[in-house]
Amino acid sequence: MAALLTPKLLLSLERLELRSARRSRSSARGERSSRARGQSVEFADYRNYVQGDDFRYLDWNLYGRLEKLFLKLYEEERELPVRIFLDASESMSFGEPSKLDFARQVAAAIGHVALCGFDRVSVTVFPEAVARPEELVARARLRRVRGRKSAPAYFQHLATLEPSGPANLNSALRRAALEARGTGLAVVLSDFLDPAGYESGLAALVARGFQTTVIQVLAPEELSPGFFGELRLVDAETGATQEVTFSKHRLKAYRRGLDRFVGGLRDYCAARGLKFFSVSSAASLEDFLLKEMRRAEVWG
Amino acid sequence: MKLLAPLALAFAATIPVVILFYLLLRKRTVRLVPSTLLWQKFLAETQASAPFQRLRKNWLLVLQLLLLTLGVLALARPYLAASQKLSDLRVLILDGSASMQSTDVAPSRFAEARAQALKWVDGLSGNDQMVVILAGGEAQVKQSATSDKAALRRALEACVASDTPTRLASALRMGEGLVRDLPTAEIHLFSDGAAPGLEEFENKALPLVYHRIGRSGDNLGIVGMDLRANPERPRQRSVYAAVANNGSNAQPALVELRLDDALVETRTVTIGAGETAPLLFELNQARDGVVTVRLTAPDALAVDNQASMISLLPRPLKTLLVTKGNRFLEKALAAAPNLELTVAGRVDDSAAGYDVVVVDDAPPSAWPKANLLAIHSYNTNWGSGWRRLEQPVIADWRTAHPLLRYVALDNVQVRESLAVPAPPWAVSLIDAPQASLAFAGEFGAQKIIWIGFDLLESNWPLRLSFPIFIANAVEWLNPANERSRLMVKAGDPFRTRTPGPVTNARIRYPNGSIKTLETAPNHTELVFADTSAQGLYRLTFGTNEVSFCVNLLDSQESRIAPRDELRYSKRAGVLASTAKSTNQELWRWLAALGLLVLLWEWWYYHRRSV
Repeated sequence: MAALLTPKLLLSLERLELRSARRSRSSARGERSSRARGQSVEFADYRNYVQGDDFRYLDWNLYGRLEKLFLKLYEEERELPVRIFLDASESMSFGEPSKLDFARQVAAAIGHVALCGFDRVSVTVFPEAVARPEELVARARLRRVRGRKSAPAYFQHLATLEPSGPANLNSALRRAALEARGTGLAVVLSDFLDPAGYESGLAALVARGFQTTVIQVLAPEELSPGFFGELRLVDAETGATQEVTFSKHRLKAYRRGLDRFVGGLRDYCAARGLKFFSVSSAASLEDFLLKEMRRAEVWG
Repeated sequence: MKLLAPLALAFAATIPVVILFYLLLRKRTVRLVPSTLLWQKFLAETQASAPFQRLRKNWLLVLQLLLLTLGVLALARPYLAASQKLSDLRVLILDGSASMQSTDVAPSRFAEARAQALKWVDGLSGNDQMVVILAGGEAQVKQSATSDKAALRRALEACVASDTPTRLASALRMGEGLVRDLPTAEIHLFSDGAAPGLEEFENKALPLVYHRIGRSGDNLGIVGMDLRANPERPRQRSVYAAVANNGSNAQPALVELRLDDALVETRTVTIGAGETAPLLFELNQARDGVVTVRLTAPDALAVDNQASMISLLPRPLKTLLVTKGNRFLEKALAAAPNLELTVAGRVDDSAAGYDVVVVDDAPPSAWPKANLLAIHSYNTNWGSGWRRLEQPVIADWRTAHPLLRYVALDNVQVRESLAVPAPPWAVSLIDAPQASLAFAGEFGAQKIIWIGFDLLESNWPLRLSFPIFIANAVEWLNPANERSRLMVKAGDPFRTRTPGPVTNARIRYPNGSIKTLETAPNHTELVFADTSAQGLYRLTFGTNEVSFCVNLLDSQESRIAPRDELRYSKRAGVLASTAKSTNQELWRWLAALGLLVLLWEWWYYHRRSV
């Protein structure tokens, strides 16, 4: 736990609460307002008394005025399902610290905030093809995490993840959108460097009704490459090669290309009402979590 | 623009190879990256932002192709053709005379001439050929006709200037022989133009291109030197030197007289422009030695600032008079200074030990080998057609001959005389209408004066001219006088007699080097011709040693002002060439440009990949 998040940061996170723009549709009890009626302190509506109703919820003041029995209905507080999509593909192993490390720290922070808010956390790690049995177990455990007490185990399982294989971001998101029983918050943590693109995956999440936050993590060497010359670049995921002649004098052109790519993703998100962050894996985690995400009202 | 080596254009075949290499074998560093997606975006970005991306992308290739093209062009050796026509054969004649050592052109005229000649060698094209001739003391073919530039350069580099006067005639004769029947051939002469004795080429229409070398004519030089003994005081010498100023301004000079490197006298003289100043020194001499006159003046030519002569003390002339009795002759001989006279009735053996033998009407059985005055006696070997004349009339006598100086024979009568047509080796002194009554000359190594009539059968002994003639004869026959001429002009052969056949002779040059000379058997004369350097030579043969001096002493050579026209004679000459010296080769410029392109390419390569 200490390896992922510092105690100080954990304390700061405990004071935060995930903000949901929609009412929870979950069936499990929690602390989120929902459309369901049940037991809480929040008054919702009245209905006619029918035989068998609990007398405790009768509105006696109304009976005094109208001589009719009305039952007071209260909002049922339900949990908020928080789904975290964590990219553990090979490309996430780059950077110092690696992009995966940064992403799992963010996932840990979001999970911790959710668990502290009695919300259910579900982490979907993609790609799915994994050989290591302990990681398979960890992934299975991460599927459904509930309660504050589960936080240490949650952190531990996150820490066992290892990057491997190509991302297949679209298929992972589409599949998750199909499988999801209830909607809620969705956080996608990836570098989005998938040759197949990201559009259909994100579109599936939006269509399913997830309130989605997109966090793009890029390595410093992707933001500003420090290697020059006649290069044959090999894609870590696909093995594809690209021949490039690169020099300091062409850094600007590279940045323009990068900005165009990140800008494309940002525009896509903005057009669909998704929250979007692009962050370097070498950036300060505290600043990102406590300032940027707070400013964007992911939590507050 | 033409190409000297058009075959080198075949190297252009390497250009496609470079392009192929560029396409196939570009060495790249393999690097693992998270994704090539961003790089594809980068490439798309650079292509989108550069309208001439295709060109820019291959900029390095373009530079390399440019470099290669320059290299191929340089190898093909393009040149800007000179204004002159091409010629199949060029004979390069380098004037290697003393005046070419002048330093008015740095480092020297000869070096400048050689540099210009080397340029012509550089411009040699195709199968055209060149010959290199050095005209020093004698003309030497340094390189026969060849197209091999390396050999021509080597030959030119090996040429050095000598201390000799200009002798271009033999070199031009060689050149003329080489270019004969070749209509486009040319002779290129690199000289300062002071070349006498070219009259023979006046009407030959030589295809001569004269390249004038040199700038200034300011020079002081010793142009004459002589050494005379005082007749009354044998140990005193008069040294005469003539110093010429060939410059355009009067110049002071310090003249030193040295005897064997010991300074005897110095004198400062100022010589007007174009004037020659005679200088006379008196020298007391206790032993034989080398007398040197040295000139210290800041001028362009150093060779003519010094002249030396060997000065030998006089020794008595051993003279043998073989006579039946002739008081007139005896008295006349005895009157000659420094003469040791022996009178004998007949001559035995070859009169060894005598310098001069006088045979007076007493034909010997064996003729002596010493210098000879033969009166009314003859050797049949000397000539043919001997006869007797009764009362011959003296029709003419050669007053210009040193033997007849101050001698008048108009009142001499002869009763009877031997007469002979003057043999080819001799000059007739006294002529009768029928034949010669007296002659003088050198028969082999022997000086002979022959008088056909008996002195006592004429009235000549009673005339004033007789003792004068005898004194002249003694002077002429004196071998020491010949020895006193132990000086030759640079380039002239030195001859000396040897007591007998010589098998082993060595010469020590002024620079100290020693060389063994080849001698012809049964010859009693040594001829040494390698006198191209000024200074003191020592010739050793057997137990004898002869020293002699080689001097320039040439007023023509000291006049170093370069001539605008090479004169054959008063009427004909060749003007100095103003044509462009040679074809202008461009490969150096191409190579320099190639170097710049290479630097540019290197810079660009680094800028691109660092």
